[in-house]
Amino acid sequence: MRVVVGYGNELRGEDAFGVDVIKELEKFHLKNTKLISAFQLTPEIVLELLEADEIIFIDACNNEKNHYALACSLSVQSRFNLSHHISPKTIVYMLESLYEKHPNFFIYSMMTKSFDNIKNENIYKMRIEQIVHHISSAQ
Amino acid sequence: MKTIVIDPVTRIEGHAKITISLNEDGKVDDAKIHVTQYRGFEKFCEGRMYSEMPALTARTCGICPVSHVIASTKAIDEILAVTPPQAGVNIRKIINLAQILQSHTLNFFHLSSPDFIYGFDAPKEDRNIFKMMQTHPQMARDGINLRAFGQKIIEELGGKRIHPTGVVPGGAAHKIELSQKEIILAQIPDMLKIAQGALEFFKTNLHKFQKEIDSFAAFPSLFMALTNKDKTLEHYDGTLCFMDSDGNIIKDAIEPRDYKEFIGEAVEEDSYLKSPYYKPLGYPQGMYRVGPLARLNIASTCGTPLADEELKKFKALNGGKPVLNSFYYHYARLIEIIYTIEKIEELLNDEETMRENVKATSSVSKTKGVGCSEAPRGTLFHEYHVTKDGVITGVNLIIATGNNNLAMNAGVKQVAQAFVDSKNITDGALNRVEAVIRCFDPCLSCSTHALGIVSSKIEIVDHNKKIVKVIDRS
Repeated sequence: MRVVVGYGNELRGEDAFGVDVIKELEKFHLKNTKLISAFQLTPEIVLELLEADEIIFIDACNNEKNHYALACSLSVQSRFNLSHHISPKTIVYMLESLYEKHPNFFIYSMMTKSFDNIKNENIYKMRIEQIVHHISSAQ
Repeated sequence: MKTIVIDPVTRIEGHAKITISLNEDGKVDDAKIHVTQYRGFEKFCEGRMYSEMPALTARTCGICPVSHVIASTKAIDEILAVTPPQAGVNIRKIINLAQILQSHTLNFFHLSSPDFIYGFDAPKEDRNIFKMMQTHPQMARDGINLRAFGQKIIEELGGKRIHPTGVVPGGAAHKIELSQKEIILAQIPDMLKIAQGALEFFKTNLHKFQKEIDSFAAFPSLFMALTNKDKTLEHYDGTLCFMDSDGNIIKDAIEPRDYKEFIGEAVEEDSYLKSPYYKPLGYPQGMYRVGPLARLNIASTCGTPLADEELKKFKALNGGKPVLNSFYYHYARLIEIIYTIEKIEELLNDEETMRENVKATSSVSKTKGVGCSEAPRGTLFHEYHVTKDGVITGVNLIIATGNNNLAMNAGVKQVAQAFVDSKNITDGALNRVEAVIRCFDPCLSCSTHALGIVSSKIEIVDHNKKIVKVIDRS
């Protein structure tokens, strides 16, 4: 099974990119795909990922210079940071070390310098469509 | 004079830094926590409709939004002069207990337990949840399961795990379905087993931490909590009680709406976190502690069998007098986890809980309302003033973490004086300075009414504020 996890705060403009992608994906009724929308990643979410062969995390990522670029942000994610919320790499590490699950995982990030509002509605929607198209056509 | 700065403090929620000032002999002269984030909820809620307040104030925090929703709806209940039906009250109580359960679980299993497993002097790379997942995988899984249980209850009864909408002015938005009740009840035995196992682990290892027990904010202070007339543990109803360090009740049966007669809020220039104090004793002599330690010190009984058994042992720690050592916040937290599970079961089996009528309605009847509840970290106050049309004209929030500010600062100083040697500043010593704050499980986003980048940098600054040394702890 493929699990797509979009996370962010809907009240914070472009921070909600992951959540908005999930809303669009829900319209496609994709087979063998589970969609999860979350405010933030917390430890217990691993229990919803145990069946996953592949996990796609979608979020907004802080980047001043490349606003609206789509990228994989693995390099800026540290699995060692821990507060009351955790990173995708920590989630995957938990799956591996605690449940012997080794799913493929990807992080799709939209770079933004505007977490608190949507600077350009058209480009923002276009980026959502691009991710949605990529995920829905990769079935 | 030199100053050591720990910025930011790690494994807590929010942003803070610590400065440790050294005298000319290199001994610790003073230590302070500076909460460096600002939120401003009290101000920007002005001008909004009263009915928006539960949703707005829940956004104060992604960790304990339920507490804010509970206090907020209770304040609005007063403004509407409405009494929620018992079923609505019970649903609120269950959701509140579920949040206390999941929050306490996160603190113990994921934030604090690495210190208990490996010790405060263990290398930093070994003193984290990732090492714990390797060496104690079942304990890590237990933490995940217990937290998921609490979160699921909030989601089922409150509509959402974070920022739930099921608690509304006048009661609850929906009744509990039988299927929901059965799903929750079926998990109770397993959850109790996990909670009891965690407490046993903690008690078994306590002997290793005598130095920390003796120096982690171990001092006399007042304690404050909501409690019932018969002094049973209470997280939703009841009145406020202040107890001194000898166990004397110095003020009892304070109606939450009268809190301002007894609680003042001092402002310090180096922190966005206010410092509440007990007014009759003045500032800062009126320092008091709230949260699990205070609640168990004030309560004479939990009212549930397994928690009561543990409460007796807890109270024996100081011969029946209040337990003054803040290290035991962890102990109290674990007892409260057991209590919440037992109490959720009791409330679900109460036939009143399953009744259809869960909400009462009314319109604005008063221009002021105060809501108070026990959040995971302690007593929470929401006070609203409205026009006769229900427009918010004033807001005052006193958050659990804020109530503990004076005690946390005194604790940081005590630990720094016990462990920090300016000639040999060890990671273990600095970890202890952070760990004393972790005992209180502060939620700084709430208390300053953010979440951010956690790095670990310590700066040593001389009396001219020149950085003479930087220690990277990441």
